Amino acid sequence: MAIISAQKTPARPAPLSDTTVIGWLRINLFSSWINVILTVVSLYIIFVAVKGIWVWGIQDAVWSAETRRECFKISKDGACWAGVLNWMDSIFYGRYPREELWRINIGGLLLVLWMAPLWLPRVKGKVFIGLTTVFLYPFLAGYFFSGGEKGIFMQIMISAAIVCLAANTLHSALGVFANSSLSEFLIRVTGTGKASEKTQRNMLIGLLALALVAVFLWQMSWHLESVTWTKWGGLFLTLVISGIGIASALPGGIILALGRRSKLPVIKVISTTFIELFRSVPLITVLFMATTMFPLFMPDGFVLNKLVQVIIAVCLFNACYMAEVVRAGLQAIPKGQAEGAHTIGLGYWGTMGLIIMPQALKVMIPNIVGSFIGILKDTTLVSIIGLFDILGMLRAISEDVFWRGLHHEPLLFGAGLFFIICFVMSKYSRHLEAKLSTDHKD
Amino acid sequence: MTSTEKQDTAKGQGKLASAASSEVMIQLTKVNKWYGDFHVLKDIDLTVHKGERIVVCGPSGSGKSTLIRCINHLEEHQEGLIVVDGITLDKNLKNIDHIRTEVGMVFQSFNLFPHLTILENLTLGPIWTRKMPKTEAQAIAMKYLERVKIPEQADKFPGQLSGGQQQRVAIARSLCMSPKIMLFDEPTSALDPEMIKEVLDVMVELADTGMTMIVVTHEMGFAKTIADRVIFMDEGDIVEENEPNAFFNNPQHERTKLFLSQIL
Repeated sequence: MAIISAQKTPARPAPLSDTTVIGWLRINLFSSWINVILTVVSLYIIFVAVKGIWVWGIQDAVWSAETRRECFKISKDGACWAGVLNWMDSIFYGRYPREELWRINIGGLLLVLWMAPLWLPRVKGKVFIGLTTVFLYPFLAGYFFSGGEKGIFMQIMISAAIVCLAANTLHSALGVFANSSLSEFLIRVTGTGKASEKTQRNMLIGLLALALVAVFLWQMSWHLESVTWTKWGGLFLTLVISGIGIASALPGGIILALGRRSKLPVIKVISTTFIELFRSVPLITVLFMATTMFPLFMPDGFVLNKLVQVIIAVCLFNACYMAEVVRAGLQAIPKGQAEGAHTIGLGYWGTMGLIIMPQALKVMIPNIVGSFIGILKDTTLVSIIGLFDILGMLRAISEDVFWRGLHHEPLLFGAGLFFIICFVMSKYSRHLEAKLSTDHKD
Repeated sequence: MTSTEKQDTAKGQGKLASAASSEVMIQLTKVNKWYGDFHVLKDIDLTVHKGERIVVCGPSGSGKSTLIRCINHLEEHQEGLIVVDGITLDKNLKNIDHIRTEVGMVFQSFNLFPHLTILENLTLGPIWTRKMPKTEAQAIAMKYLERVKIPEQADKFPGQLSGGQQQRVAIARSLCMSPKIMLFDEPTSALDPEMIKEVLDVMVELADTGMTMIVVTHEMGFAKTIADRVIFMDEGDIVEENEPNAFFNNPQHERTKLFLSQIL
């Protein structure tokens, strides 16, 4: 029997529950008597908890006082935020000399200035900007943070960093406002537009050398007071250690993961051993090994400071964890992709760099950011081996003569700070995923 | 499309004139390959001349895919000699890379790069392995996209295209490297029936240009149209090798007869 539809079925509006708040409430919270009771009880519990936090943390809290005793006098049951506020500088900067704090702030600002172009849509050459951030910025920041005498190598690197930063910034500004690149701009300004490509290149190299020499002479006059690492602390120290850990984890992880998948037995065995060794030991053990055992194996007179040892340990440890994340990502890419790349003549590095890695990294973003967040939080372990990172400083408040016994408020503040940083990272990773998605599955 | 219809199309298009010359393009001598203990290719001898179009068929697991994958060294053979365009395939990575730029390959599963646009998929090889300037590579890419009849898709991503369109892009991608030889590994097996024709049409046009082609396929109508020779493989042996008319109308070997009776 044939069935023939006489007319087109017109579209009707969706059921109320899908479009209005009241419909949603009725279906999800008040659909039966049991659900109504559960909803009411839950609301009451939430109300009590929020009210308690509100009264303790805000309504009865003390915001300004000189000592904890004073806090108690003003309000017995409220939070004593005054202690946290008094220690704010220490929480952020540790025992860094107060009159030198601007150096840390400048260092942070320079990083923002350096990396900002990476988020601007019309700027070209982002890979170069990213690479210089990793390889040149640390020298500049390192000098700002520690100061003191600088060797000739350090001076060259600082000059290179400054020239690079200036070039990056100018290039980005030109890209955003004039939609051109720095080299095009310089060629136009110097009027060599009609000259041969070789002349243009020579002119650019000449300008670069000139800038380097000028900056080199300029920076020779800089004298920054030396601040030893023992005075570094607080959130600043946490960010230094975890920042270096994060920046090195991904490249290190990629190298180790490729090593582990290598067809050359020696490289494969070395990478696998390295990864498994570090992964089977807790971070705190690695940190103790690095600070107490490692110096024993070193030749006499070879002394690395504790901070450098800790940073190396954190880097190696996280590179090994990242290696497994990267390996998982590599395995998620079908074998056909490599074969497709081979058939258009790409070799190992071309295949990895252009075809496999870009896809694998995209798949791995949630895991990579998860690891980054882990690195940031794990860094607080260094407070156990005697570095005054943010956790160390938060606990030091309770040992201060004026604020003895003040535990809860500083730790809560620290928790809030960590939550904000980690939540932003995680949100950004979701945004990146959506932005980079090209698979069009939906 | 049923197989009889396919034969009709083939008849309608008529038999292409052979472009084969006497110059040897691919020479396989006593090639053997094992996967573990499994003997996939057994003493394979095969000579392919320039401009020759060869169709390889056979039941699954007969080693036909492995055979053509050995020619551009996606698979490594353990014994025997493979010479492609005068270059012997051995452990020398430079030779392998060189041969791969001369030999294009189209896969059953397309293997386009999903993170790149169609145009980028096509220009990647010329830019990175032929060191061609970007604008020139793009011009060539557009030329081939027009030849496979989808220039308007240049800025889309592979995931936005239908299977047939993706496979045509894959063919164009290989052609952008201006290869001397094209290998096809069951190019239509993963496609819906209505898309098979559009891909086969492109391949017939390609055959018309005198390209040396080795095609693994079950499309017998297509085989009749373009093949100079049909090779039937079973259990790692080349069982029968003949020009298409004789092959389809008068198969000699029992296994060939059985195979043809099952698929026609």
